[in-house]
Amino acid sequence: MSELKENLKAQIIEQLSLEDLTPADIKDDAPLFGDEGLGLDSIDALEFIVLLESNYGIKIADPSKGREIFHSVNSLAAFIESNQ
Amino acid sequence: MSAVITSIVSIGHQDSFGKENIWETLQPLGTQSEVVAPDYKTYISPASLRRFSPVLRMALTAAQVCQNETVLPFDAISVGTSLGCLKDTERFLQTFITATGDTLSPTAFIQSTHNTIAGAISMALGNHSYNMTHTQNSLSFETALIDGLLCIQEGKKSVLVGAADEAIEFLELLKPQVIQSAFPFTSGATFLSLQPEGNGTKKAVMDCSVHFNNTNTEEAIATFLKNNQVDSDTIELVLFAGEIPRTIGAKQVNYEQYTGLYYSSAAFACHLATDYALSKEKYILIVNHQVNGKLGLTLIR
Repeated sequence: MSELKENLKAQIIEQLSLEDLTPADIKDDAPLFGDEGLGLDSIDALEFIVLLESNYGIKIADPSKGREIFHSVNSLAAFIESNQ
Repeated sequence: MSAVITSIVSIGHQDSFGKENIWETLQPLGTQSEVVAPDYKTYISPASLRRFSPVLRMALTAAQVCQNETVLPFDAISVGTSLGCLKDTERFLQTFITATGDTLSPTAFIQSTHNTIAGAISMALGNHSYNMTHTQNSLSFETALIDGLLCIQEGKKSVLVGAADEAIEFLELLKPQVIQSAFPFTSGATFLSLQPEGNGTKKAVMDCSVHFNNTNTEEAIATFLKNNQVDSDTIELVLFAGEIPRTIGAKQVNYEQYTGLYYSSAAFACHLATDYALSKEKYILIVNHQVNGKLGLTLIR
């Protein structure tokens, strides 16, 4: 699980062009969206969908679950593990 | 149809950004010159900056500084770009070709259109006024400028006019098929604020015209000057791209030696004209004949 989270952080940085961040800057449980966390927005949510499909072969069947799945690295990793 | 230039900002291969007079630092381009970029973080929020390609960064920063210097919110935004956001277009197309059935990354697609530049400026400035993009090959800047002048003529008090284009390596490969030029493809953005005449001693754009099927440059120049009741003897400086205008005896400067080759570089010539120490009752003529058959004429007082 920890390896998956580290990979996810590196992929998030690359996919979202977060050039000023390193994986160590992203906390496992910190919110990814909104002002409290990384400050990501709706376009980033679309990039997450692409990331999940292209890197893990996972499609989100229920878009209403997006907010919950994309909340943090922890929730993303848990979703990937339960769907692979 | 004329308007005063109250602010003008350029980012490109010259060290022009933030300079009072760009003639003082002007250098002919070397073969390996690069964009002299300001610290974009000062002008663009980090959240937006990470997504923006070089042409968007240049254009937004130049537009933002123009707005800061103008104070009065723009009543219209008119942008000229010949090739648009090429880096994002290339990125999107490459993904399009290599991705086999997967969902494509949205960012490059969203930002690959020509009107991304004017749209992003509108969002960055919080400006919901008239917003137009002109894509007319080497005359993109001039058509945007004419639009801006018409907006002033209609009664608008403050108009942002600009041009931006960026180079990618692929352009050099295409070059033999698209244009004959001794200059390498480069990138640049120039934005200026137009306001109605009567604003002190600043330079003014008197007129601008475009000729998409030009066959006689000398005749077009003569007609243009005549229409503006300007005698060719009162032209003090000619800034040109392409063939040298033969009939005017004024000092002539090929502005592409300073900009390199991008299709909206006439906007930088406008900046050169704005900063030039012009004698009283004299004029500057910008002759953009960068592409054969296409002629842009801009008269500065």
